[in-house]
Parts: sequence; C-alpha cells; structure tokens
Amino acid sequence: MTTRQEWIRYLGLGGLVLVCLGLLGLAAWQLVQLERQMRIGASENMIWVFGQAQIEALNLALALSDEAPPQKIQTRFDVLLSRLTLLEEGPQRRFLEDAGISETLAGWRSGLLALDPVQGADPAALRSHVTALVAALRGKASLVMSHEWQIQAERLDRLGHLHRLALVSVLGAALAGLGLAAILIDRERRLMRGRLDRLRAEKLAGDLERERETSENHRRFADLIAHQLRTPLAVIDSAMHRLTRRGGPVSPELVSEKAAVSREAVARLVKLTDTALMMSRLERDGVLPHLGAHDLRDLAASVIDDLMMSAQGRDPARIRQPAQIAPMVALCDPALTSEILSNLLHNALLYSPLNCRVDVEVSQSQTHIVCRVEDRGRGMSPEEIACAFDRFHRGSGHETLPGSGLGLTLARHLARMQGGDVNLTQRVGGGLTAALYLPRETSA
Amino acid sequence: MNLRHRIARTALIPALLLSSVPAAAENVLLTLTGAVTDGRVELTRADFDAMDWHEFATSTSVTDHQPEFRGVLMRDILAHAGAEGSQVRAAALNDYVVDIPIEDFYQFDVLAALYMDGVPLTPRDKGPVWIVYPRDDHGVLADIRYDMRWVWQLVALHVQ
Repeated sequence: MTTRQEWIRYLGLGGLVLVCLGLLGLAAWQLVQLERQMRIGASENMIWVFGQAQIEALNLALALSDEAPPQKIQTRFDVLLSRLTLLEEGPQRRFLEDAGISETLAGWRSGLLALDPVQGADPAALRSHVTALVAALRGKASLVMSHEWQIQAERLDRLGHLHRLALVSVLGAALAGLGLAAILIDRERRLMRGRLDRLRAEKLAGDLERERETSENHRRFADLIAHQLRTPLAVIDSAMHRLTRRGGPVSPELVSEKAAVSREAVARLVKLTDTALMMSRLERDGVLPHLGAHDLRDLAASVIDDLMMSAQGRDPARIRQPAQIAPMVALCDPALTSEILSNLLHNALLYSPLNCRVDVEVSQSQTHIVCRVEDRGRGMSPEEIACAFDRFHRGSGHETLPGSGLGLTLARHLARMQGGDVNLTQRVGGGLTAALYLPRETSA
Repeated sequence: MNLRHRIARTALIPALLLSSVPAAAENVLLTLTGAVTDGRVELTRADFDAMDWHEFATSTSVTDHQPEFRGVLMRDILAHAGAEGSQVRAAALNDYVVDIPIEDFYQFDVLAALYMDGVPLTPRDKGPVWIVYPRDDHGVLADIRYDMRWVWQLVALHVQ
C-alpha cells in the first residue's frame, strides 16, 4: 500500500470519528434544548390569569348591583385592581401585546383608580365603568385563548423539530459508527493476515536454516570420515607393501610387527565405523537406553580391560583405578555407559604424554554417581572447554591426531539420555578432568 | 450563612415599621385554622413584627426583574401558631386555594413576604401576604408545581 493511500485511509478514519462525535454532540445539545423547553412556566397560564380578571370584574359588578356592604365592595375593588395590575406587569403585558389586545385594555386600571370608593367616588359611575370593563374583557377572552394555544402549538412544533433533529443526529452517528467499525475490523483482519504471513515466513526461514546446518554437518562428517578412513588404510597399505616387497626374506618378527600395526589400524577403522553408526542412529532417535542398576566401578574396570587390548599404542597400563570397597550403583544403560567411559579414557590416553598416568576415580554425591577421569596432559583453556562439546570440534593442535570430533558430543548426548551429564574441568596441577555423572540407583 | 446575614440586616426593620405604620398593626393579616393552638390563631402586624424578619431577591413567574422580598419565614409562622400537620391549605382574597406540603417550608426558606422592593404589599397588588419561594437558589423550584404555591393576597392558612 502506498503512503498516499494510507494517508487517505487515515483521513477517512479521522473524518468518520469526527462525524460520529460531532453528531453525538449535536444530539446531546438538542436533547438539552428539548429538556429546557419542556418546562411549563406559570406565565404561560394566561387563560387562567385573564379569566380571573374577568371573574373579579363580574364579582365587583355583582357587589355593586347588590349594594353590598362597603367593606365587601372595597375588597372586590382591590382584588380587581390587583388583577388589572397583574395584566400590566412584564410577562403578562408582553403576551397581551403579542395578542394585539394590550392597547384596548390600557386605561381601564387608571379609570378604575379614579373611581376608588375609598375616595368617595360615585358608585353609579363605578358601576357603569365596571360593566363596560366586563364587556371589554369578554370580547378579548377568546383572543387570549387562541393566542395561548397558538403559542403552545408553536412550542410543541419546536419540540417536535428538536426531537426529529436529535433522532437524525443519532442515526447519522450510528451510521458513521458502523463505517468506523467496518474499517477497524477490515484493518484488524489485514493485520492478522500480515502477522500470519510473517510467522509462516519465519518458520520457513528456520526450517531452511536447520536444513542447511544438517547438510553442512553431513558434508563435514563425510569429509572427516573419508579422511579418518584414509589414515588407517594407508597404514595397512604401507604394512602390506613392506611385507610383499621384492628382495630379502621377510623375518617372522617383521610379519608380527606389521600384523600388529595393521590390526590396530583395523581396530581404529571398526571404532570409527561404530561411532559413525551410533551417531547416525542417534540422529534418528533410534537409541533408547535400557536402564538398570550397575556398579560404575565394574563398568570402568571392564572398559579399562578392553582398552588394554585395543589401545596398546597409547600404553593403557598407565590407567590407575584405586581399589574401592563401597559399591557405586548407578541407574544406567551398561552399553551406553561403557561407550562414554571408553570415550573419556581414550581421550585421556590420547591427549597426555605416554609417561604420565591417568586416574579413574568413582565417587558419589547426594544424587549422582560420579566417575572422574584425570590426565596430566596439556589441559584445555576455559574457551576450549566451552566449545569442546560442539559437534566436529577438534581440539587445537590435535587436528593431526586420529579422531572424529564426535567423541565428546556423543558422550554427553548418551549421558543426558540416561539423566546424567558429562563435563570438563581443568585439573589442579595441570591436565584435564572429565567427569561423568549418572543418577544414583536409590532403591538399592 | 446567607440567611443569618439577612437577619442581621433586617433586625432594625420591625422597630422602624412599628413607629411608621401604627394603624396597620391592629388589623388581622393572616388567620390560621385547623391543627394550630386552640384551633384558630390570628396574626396581626404586631405579631409579624415580633418574629425574625428575612429578605431575599428572587425572580418570579409574573415579573421581569428580581424583586427584593421582605417578610417572615413560613416555618416561623407555623411554629408561632403551634401548627402540627403535614400540609396547609392556603386561601387568598380571590378564593384561590392550594395545598402546600409543610415540608416545603423546612426544605426551603419560604417567605411570607409583606414587602416587595421596599414597598408594602396591599390587597390592590399582591398583599397583604405573598408566599415567596427562593426560586433562584434551588433549580427545582423553577417549576409550575412550585409556581402554583406562590399564593398572593394570602389571608388564611388551614393546617391539616
């Protein structure tokens, strides 16, 4: 979407919000007006006020013709006067002016005052004045009535008009609100779609990255295996070449020496193949540990025995395992655990000088059985230890030594499969300590 | 607060009026009947003068400006007459009759006004007594139901 379109969209949205709020405000204002105009004022009661003046005029006329006592005549006179006074006051006078009868009523009050009985005025003159007033009022009563209803009808018209306006405003606001809701829902839908697209793209990118990593691993693995295969094969080839060389007779000692070299090379090949197979199976999660209670001392001893046969080149006889009486029973898979120990011991033999001993010690903590393999080699820096477990990592300076770069990775993986772990620490006094932790068999 | 101020200002008025219109003091201005002391209480000008006087300006439904009214509080008159009831039936010279809840007089400072803009009310205007509500102090009073209770030319109150 271009910026221009977005701007139009925002303007439209803002416009709708303004229209909606504006119409609601208008409706509220109209309702307030309506409420104000719905009050009834006493000044609107002119039919009553005018009727009262008429009645009082009649009352006085009646009192005068009945020749009532002066006190009563005086009271009726006063009350009539008060009614005429009222008609001349603000709101009432304006009403009569609007109705066009103000002028015809003017002068009646002053005329009456001039005939005040208190002042000893002529009763006959008063009577004729009041009779004329009664006739004048009667002539205007219907005008007052029609004017009053005219005003009321107009007021109702205004109220109705306001009411309709308020209604239209509310409907308009509702329409604008609907438009607003539609736009917002549409926007929300777009956002959601965008978010889903992004998640899908991220997942695809992740998959691709993983695939690339796997492929890279496979390539390096293939390279490595090829390289590692090449060395023992070259050794065997060289031995065979020496034995079959034309020339002098081959002594039995030479045959025996070359056979030993060849066997060692074959053993290394077998070992390498085993490791590769194991890794391959692990990658497919094809290995499940068969856990059982096993004494780690016995496992270590049998692994050392095996090494005596297979790793003569590294002098396995320098491995020292102190005699221990207490059993160290762990919950583990004996085959996998032997593989780990073999790995660790092999490393210790490989990376330490031939004249330095390697210690194997089994101990126990609250929760774990620990087997420590300590060598007195060059050791490793913390940085080296940090990446020692990475797949295909080879220790610095050891690139030429035989090894797959998978040993420690495999060892740790197998240990974790059994609920344990493998880690490396620097040995006090030089060298490296590799420790295998396995859970203790608690039921024993 | 406002009321107390008015009382202070009008404290001198009864004394002044007594000396200026002594003749009017004899006439009965207002007659209370019904649930009052001895069933009938007549109030003369002197009785009014003996009570606390108050004054305030308010708009009315029949005048354009806001006249200044002066008189005594309706609740003081009822207390003076020992009235016991829930409403009064007010009657005017022209036979206008309306029922007013006594509660009104305690809720608002309703005045039995004898003066408007300093001029005594007479039967020829809206006197002798005009019931005046403080219309501008309470929004609820600007209503036809209260306007009907502004009895002018008041002469009698029947307490029930």
